[in-house]
Amino acid sequence: MSGIKLTGVSKSFGAVKVIHDVDIEIQQGEFAVFVGPSGCGKSTLLRMIAGLEETTGGQIRIDTEDVTRREASKRGVAMVFQSYALYPHLSVFDNMAFSLSIARRPKAEIDAKVRAAADILRLGDYLSHKPSQLSGGQRQRVAIGRAIVREPRVFLFDEPLSNLDAELRVKMRMEIARLHRQIGATMIYVTHDQVEAMTLADKIVVLKAGVVQQVGEPLELYRNPDNMFVAGFIGSPGMNFLKARVMSAAAGRLVVELEDAPGVPFDVPGTAGVPLGKGIFLGVRPEHIALGEREGSVPLKATAEFIEELGGTGYLHALTATGAEMTVECRGEERPHPKQAIRLSLDPKEMFAFSERGERLR
Amino acid sequence: MQRKTIGNILLLALTLCVACMWAFPIYWAVVTSIKPEHEVVTKTTFIPDVFNFSAYYFALFETNLAAWYVNSLITSIGVTIIVILISVMCAYALSQIVFPGRRLLYGIILASFMVPSQALVVSQFVLMYRFGLINSWGGIILPQLIIPVVVIVYKQFFDSVPKELREAAKLDGCGDFQILFRLYLPLNWGITTALAIITYIMAWNAFLWPFLVTNSEDMMTVTVGITQVDDAFGVKYARDMAVAILAAMPVALAYLLFQKRVTQALMLSSGIKG
Repeated sequence: MSGIKLTGVSKSFGAVKVIHDVDIEIQQGEFAVFVGPSGCGKSTLLRMIAGLEETTGGQIRIDTEDVTRREASKRGVAMVFQSYALYPHLSVFDNMAFSLSIARRPKAEIDAKVRAAADILRLGDYLSHKPSQLSGGQRQRVAIGRAIVREPRVFLFDEPLSNLDAELRVKMRMEIARLHRQIGATMIYVTHDQVEAMTLADKIVVLKAGVVQQVGEPLELYRNPDNMFVAGFIGSPGMNFLKARVMSAAAGRLVVELEDAPGVPFDVPGTAGVPLGKGIFLGVRPEHIALGEREGSVPLKATAEFIEELGGTGYLHALTATGAEMTVECRGEERPHPKQAIRLSLDPKEMFAFSERGERLR
Repeated sequence: MQRKTIGNILLLALTLCVACMWAFPIYWAVVTSIKPEHEVVTKTTFIPDVFNFSAYYFALFETNLAAWYVNSLITSIGVTIIVILISVMCAYALSQIVFPGRRLLYGIILASFMVPSQALVVSQFVLMYRFGLINSWGGIILPQLIIPVVVIVYKQFFDSVPKELREAAKLDGCGDFQILFRLYLPLNWGITTALAIITYIMAWNAFLWPFLVTNSEDMMTVTVGITQVDDAFGVKYARDMAVAILAAMPVALAYLLFQKRVTQALMLSSGIKG
């Protein structure tokens, strides 16, 4: 099992640079998740590690070996594709045994390794089946099994659960987490689903337009985002952002007032030295907003739009007077009606301040 | 309802008529081949007065038919195997491997569709003559290996194979030859069968080129050989028909056995993806 180190890794398609000088270190046995919106370059980066895309600049090291220019099959990585990429004309056994038979391993060894992987993934009863006879979840397990059999240094997963229905996705997510615990391999997992990222990862790498926005543990990213993008991307539903103005700044605190609630100054953590009167953004998560007025909170008037009802919890979508969209987590019985004028209380201790350019003001 | 039934009957009658028109020449050839020669030339009978198989005896034992069969079989199988092998590799390269001039090469292959094979026979003959391949199996086979439609059909199918399969195979340690022969070819086995059958039929039926490249009776293919079945006293229709039927037999059998595949191949080569 091995660690991976990317140093100044970049990728261009002609004149268009899609990956910008990425520096990441993934420790041996770590479960790293690359997350970001569609087109952010996360799959391209994974494919560069796999050797399926040429690396334009920088260095990729697995263990201490430089594999940047090495052929895909000689990097010691195995990849699980979104579309499973199972060989449709081969049985489950032959699919899993394919790499070993290409490497001309002895039959007894192939048989033992395939059966061991099948046991881990509970595929023993399906070894003679063709992929077309399996369900989506079973196919994905075969794809994982094919990777396990190779005993790679690193497992790469490219949105492996995207083709599965919601229920199966949760189940497979747990299976992948269990597999990671069981074999302890280094794994890199690409997803656009931040829930998958939060639940699976030891380390999350947030990407936007080919640039790494932040690297860290899931809760660290949630509690301490570096910028508005990470703050908005990590957490479901996403963070709310409101325009505000700096009234005064001192000793790591900013006194601000919301555009939607002028004349109600309050202080939030932030960089001293921000020019007075400057516009900033304040971020607050849905769970840190309450319905009604609360002492010590920042009051805000809004109009209820609609509620996403999840049973125990509901997510109220509302609009402020300036048209800012807000999402509020509602617990208990209280649910406003659509178009109802409501009052919200924002917890200033749980607010994040961001510059106009989206950088965190700490 | 009644109008519909009458319409169906009329349609059935029409299709039967057309089918009879298609089948009649074959029927006539068979009937002619089993008539005595004097009956063929003296009267028109749809059923022979006497069933006479002497024409078949002549075709089988007094002509070089066996040698022609062997020549046809060897050259047709040779053409089929080599065409499939060359085309599959060419199509794989055009479909999956990025190299400079790929589009141009594919354009040339497409354009070669427009060149009638007859236009090439002189240069091909000179080439075969210089290679010393006149009157040889090699000389019959080589110029028949240019069948662009097989490359185009294969490429079309290889293009539709998901790229992840190739990538997965690469990660599994396969080189391009292994990817082609262990993955792409088995995945398109049906197409290969269809294209092989139609190539075989085309090679078996080829006349112009084998006619030009062979002048020794021992090296002729069946289609050329039947032109040699003549007599010092003129044309013998029953014998000609018997030889023609025996010559057509392997193709007819191939068609009957693999009817579905042949139809699929014809559709594929005409641009309809079956």
